[in-house]
Amino acid sequence: MAAVRSQEEGGFFAWMMAPERRGPMLVAPALIVLFVMNIFPLLWSFGLSFFNYRANRQDIPDFVGLRFYERVLTDPDVWERFQTTALIVGSSVLVQLILGFLLALMFANQFPLRRVLLMLVLAPMMLSFVSVGVFFKLYYEPTFGLLSQAVRVFTGSTYAILGSPTGAIIAIVIADAWMWAPFVMLLVLAGLVSVPKYLYEAAEIDRASWWRRFRTITFPYIRSLLLLAVLFRTIETFKLFDIVYIITEGGPGTATETIAVYTYRVAFQFFRTSQSSALAYIILFVVIVLTNLYLYAVKQREREVS
Amino acid sequence: MRLIRDRLVLGVSAASLAAGLLAGGVAEAADIRITMAAPDWPPTRFMKEEFDRSYQSPDGHNTVLDMDFIPWPSFYERVAASLASGEQKYQMIVTDSQWLGAFVEGGYYLDLTDMMIADPELTAIMEDLHPALVSAYSTYPHKTKDFIAENEFPAPDTRYFGFPQFPDTYVTFYREDLFCHEGEAAAFEERFGQTLPCTYEDWQDVDWDTFRNIGEHFQRAAGDPLGDGVADDDFFGIAYQAGKGYDFSTMQINAFIWQHGGGIWDETEAPNAQAEGVVNSDIAVEAFEHYLDLLQFMPPVAQTGQMDIFVIQDLYMQGKVAAIVDWVGLGEPVLDPNTSLVHDKSAFGPAPGLRQEDGTIDRTGNIGGQPFVLTTWNSDEVVQEGLNVVKWWLNPETQKNFVANGGQSGLMSVMADPEYNDLRPWNRAHVEMLDWQRDVWHVPDFFELLTQQQEEFDRAITGQIDARTALDSVARFQQMLLEDAGLIE
Amino acid sequence: MARIGSRPREIGKAGWGWTAFTSVVSLIYFFPVLWIILTAFKTRSDALAVPPKFFFTPTLQNFTNVFFRESITAQAAQATEFPLYFFNSIFIAGTSVFLALILGTLAAYGFSRYPLRGNDTYLFVILTTRMLPPIVVIIPIFLMFRLTGLAGSYWGIILLYTAFNIPFSVWLVKSFFDELNPEIEDAARMDGAGEKRVFFAMCLPQILAGLAATFVFGMILTWNEFIFALLLTGVETRTVPVAMARTMGGEIGVDYGLLAAIVTLFLIPIFVVTYILQNQLLRGVTFGTVKK
Repeated sequence: MAAVRSQEEGGFFAWMMAPERRGPMLVAPALIVLFVMNIFPLLWSFGLSFFNYRANRQDIPDFVGLRFYERVLTDPDVWERFQTTALIVGSSVLVQLILGFLLALMFANQFPLRRVLLMLVLAPMMLSFVSVGVFFKLYYEPTFGLLSQAVRVFTGSTYAILGSPTGAIIAIVIADAWMWAPFVMLLVLAGLVSVPKYLYEAAEIDRASWWRRFRTITFPYIRSLLLLAVLFRTIETFKLFDIVYIITEGGPGTATETIAVYTYRVAFQFFRTSQSSALAYIILFVVIVLTNLYLYAVKQREREVS
Repeated sequence: MRLIRDRLVLGVSAASLAAGLLAGGVAEAADIRITMAAPDWPPTRFMKEEFDRSYQSPDGHNTVLDMDFIPWPSFYERVAASLASGEQKYQMIVTDSQWLGAFVEGGYYLDLTDMMIADPELTAIMEDLHPALVSAYSTYPHKTKDFIAENEFPAPDTRYFGFPQFPDTYVTFYREDLFCHEGEAAAFEERFGQTLPCTYEDWQDVDWDTFRNIGEHFQRAAGDPLGDGVADDDFFGIAYQAGKGYDFSTMQINAFIWQHGGGIWDETEAPNAQAEGVVNSDIAVEAFEHYLDLLQFMPPVAQTGQMDIFVIQDLYMQGKVAAIVDWVGLGEPVLDPNTSLVHDKSAFGPAPGLRQEDGTIDRTGNIGGQPFVLTTWNSDEVVQEGLNVVKWWLNPETQKNFVANGGQSGLMSVMADPEYNDLRPWNRAHVEMLDWQRDVWHVPDFFELLTQQQEEFDRAITGQIDARTALDSVARFQQMLLEDAGLIE
Repeated sequence: MARIGSRPREIGKAGWGWTAFTSVVSLIYFFPVLWIILTAFKTRSDALAVPPKFFFTPTLQNFTNVFFRESITAQAAQATEFPLYFFNSIFIAGTSVFLALILGTLAAYGFSRYPLRGNDTYLFVILTTRMLPPIVVIIPIFLMFRLTGLAGSYWGIILLYTAFNIPFSVWLVKSFFDELNPEIEDAARMDGAGEKRVFFAMCLPQILAGLAATFVFGMILTWNEFIFALLLTGVETRTVPVAMARTMGGEIGVDYGLLAAIVTLFLIPIFVVTYILQNQLLRGVTFGTVKK
C-alpha cells in the first residue's frame, strides 16, 4: 500500500484514478460485492427455472424451457396470492404513509422532551419481525389478547379478529403498518424540518390556505424523501413474510397468504425448486415494472411542476 | 453418486466435491465427531446430557456428539436447506416421520436394513420396538402397523431407516378438581344421565358423545359457579387441536376419519389406491362434520383456525378449559408450577374415541413424535459408531432414565416394566394409546398434500365452507398431484 | 473552505402543551412495545392474565433464563450461548453496515460526480437486488458458501449483510452528494486540490450527519434479520434473532416472558445508538433534501 501511495502522481494508482476511470473505479467495489452475493445467486436460480429440478430428488433435471413460467402464470392460486399481496401492500403502505405523515407533523416542532418522545415512536421498527408477529398474535388472541379484552369491555363478548378473511387482513396490515410507519415518519420529518421558515411566514402574510401551503411549500421539500420511503416500503412489504407466517400462517384458508409466503411454501415445503425460481422471477418482474412505473410517474410530475 | 450429479447440475465442479468428500472421510480412529441436527427441546437436550454423562464407545472411539440445537419453528427449514444444498453437515438427524419419503428419495437418509439384519443387537431392538413405531418411524415405502406386527423382522420387501428418538401420542389432559367434584358430577348425571369421568377407568369409557356433553356441561360465563368457586373468566369444557399451521388439525381430523371407518389416501396400496372417492367419501364427510360439530364448545380461538397444540395447552394451563386432547410431549409444562396454574389439579386419561356397534371404543389416532436417522455420506466407521449410539440410546437403562425425565420409550420391554406407568402420570394413557396409532403419508409430496389439506380444513373450521366442499377439494387436489407424481395410476 | 448547508435550520417551537399532547400519542404508539417490556418482568400466568395485569410483582426469572438454562438431568443450571449471540449480533451488524457505508459512499460519490453511461440503470439494478424474497436465493447462496468455505463463518454472513445494505446506502448517500454544490469542488480543483482532498476534506465532512443517518438506518434494517442468519450461520456465529425463535415452541408454545426478555435486552444497543445519533439522523436526512 505504501508503495502505491508514494506513486500517487504516476504509475498504477494514477492510471486507476484517471478522470475517465474514476467513476467505474469508485462504483466497482460495491458492484462487485453485489454481484457476488446477490446477482450471481440470482442468475443461478434463473438458470434453474428452465430445468425440471427439485432439490430433494435424485432425477437428473431435464431442460424444460419456459414450462414453469407457463405453469405459474396460468395457476389461479398464484393470481389469488398476487391479489392478496397487492391488497396488503397497498393498504399497508398507504396506512404507513398517513400514519408516518401525521407523526412527522407532530414532531416537526421543537418542544421539551422531543428527543425522548421521538425514541418511543421509533421503537417499533427496531423490533424483530419475529417478536412483532408473536406479540401481535397474542394481542389478537380472543381469550388472552388485549384487543379482545378491550372490545369485551364494550360489547361483553370476546372478539376474534382473525376469524374472518377481512379481519385477518386488517390485523396483518395493522401490525405491519405500525411497525414501519416510523420509517416513513423519519423521512417525512427530515423533509418537514428542512422547509425554510421564512417561506411559511411569507405564506401566512399571503393568507394561503393550509392545503395551498402544503402543496406549494411543504410538499416540494419532502417529495424526494417520500419517493424513497414509498419505494422502499413497497419493495419491503412485497416481501412480507414473517409477520404473516406467524400471525395467520396465511389463513383463514388462504385469505392472507402473500406471494412471499407462497413462494416459501413452493421452494421449501413443496421442494419445487425450479418452479419457485420461476415464480420468483415473475415477482421480480412485477416489482420492477411497478417501481419503474412509479419512478416514471414521479419524473413526469417533476417535469410538470418545474 | 447422486450428490455428484446434483452438484454438476448446480454448476459446481466434481473436483471440489471430491476434495470435500476426502476431507470428510478421513476421520481419526480415536476421535469421531457426530453432528446431529436436533430440535431444541427437552427430549433432545436430555439425549445430549445423557450422552455426555454415560456414553462409552464399545469400539474404543473417543466419540463426540455435537448436537446442533435448532429452534423448533425453524427446524424443518434449517434441515431441508442443509440437505438440499449438499453441505453434508450432519451425520445424524432427528426428523418428523412424514419427512422420510422426501429425504430418502433425495438420497440423504441412510437405508439401515442390511445393517439391522446383520447385527443381532439391532435385530433384537427392532423386534422389541412397538410395531406402530417401526411402521411410522422406520419404514419407507411405508408399511402399515398390521403388516409390521404380522411379520417377523425383517418383514418382506421392507426397508428400514429410523429409530424412535421421542415417540408421542395424544391423550386427554383433564382437571381432576372439576371432574371429581361431587356437585359437578351430580349436575352432569342429572343433565345427561351419565357419569362424569373422574378416574382413569372412567376415561377409558369416554367416547366423543360424552366428550361433547362435557363440553356442554362445563361451558360457563365469567361469574358462574364452577367447582368449588366461580369462574373468573369464560370457561370451556373441551378443546382439541384445530390450527392451520403445519399438521395442527390433520392429526386430529385423521383420527375422526379413521374411527368412523373412512380413510385417507393409502400410500401402501400405491399406485392402485385412489384419493377421489376415498378422501371425500360419505363416511369421511360425516367424520369431518363430527369433528367440526364439537368446535362450538371450545374456546373462541377455535373460530380463528389458530387453535393449535400450543394454544390449547396454554388455555388448559391457564385454567380456561376443563379437558384437552394434546400430545404427551407437551405434558411436562402442565405439571410445572412456573408455567401452569393447574399443575396440582391435573390428571391424564386416554383420548376419547368413537363408540362402535359392539360397544367398544375405537381410539385410532395419528402418531406424533420423531425418529432419528443416519445420513448417507458417513464413512463406514461413522456409520458403525452411529449405530453404537443407537444401541446406547435404545438400551433399556437409557430409555428408563429418559422416561423418568419426561421422555417416552418405544421399546415394549421397557413399557412392560411394572414401574413404567408410575414414572410419569400420562404413561399409562400413552401406552394404551400407542396400540391405536397410525400415521399420515410419508411420500415425498407429503408437505404439499398436507399444506393444501390444512388450508381447506382451515376454511371449514372458520366456517367459510362446509365439510363436503372441503374434502371434495382435498380429494381433487390429491388425485391430481398424486397422478402427476406417478403414485396413482 | 466552503461551508454550505452546515448552518442549522430553524424549526418551529412549541411548548409544554404540545409535549403533553405528543406524550399521549407517543405512549399509545409505544404501548405494544411497552407491553412486551412489561411481559419480560412477568411470570407466565401474569403475562396471560385475564384481565391484563398492569400492576404485578416483577420477576427477574425471565432474564435469568436468557443466560442460564435448567439442566434436565442435573440440578445445576447451564450457561446459554446468549452472550455469544449478543456479541455476534453487534459485531456482524456493526461491521457489515460499516462496510456497506464505505462501499456505498464511494459508489454514491462515483454515481453522483462521475456518472457512467447508463448511470440510472446501474442505480436501478442495485435497487432490484433488494426486491426478491430471500428464500429464493438461499439455496444458491448456501451452495456458494459451502464451496468457498464461508458457511458458518463471520465473513460469510458479514459479506452477505454488506451486500444487503449497499442498495439503501448508495441511494441515500447519493442524495446527499447530489445536494452539494459541485462548482465549489471544481473551484478547489482549479486551486490545485487533489481528488483525494476534494473527497475527504470537502465533501465528506459536509455529509457526515447523512452518513450517521445512513448508518442508523442500516443498523435498524440489519439488526433483526432472521432467515439468512438462521440458515447461513453456524453454531459459533448465530445471532440473537435466531435465539429468539427458540422461545417459540418446543414443549410449550411461546415462552412469552423469555422472548420479551430477549427482545428487551436486544432493544438496548440499537436504542442507544439511535438516541446518540438522533440529531445526526434528523439533520442527516434533512440535508438530503435541502434544495440548492
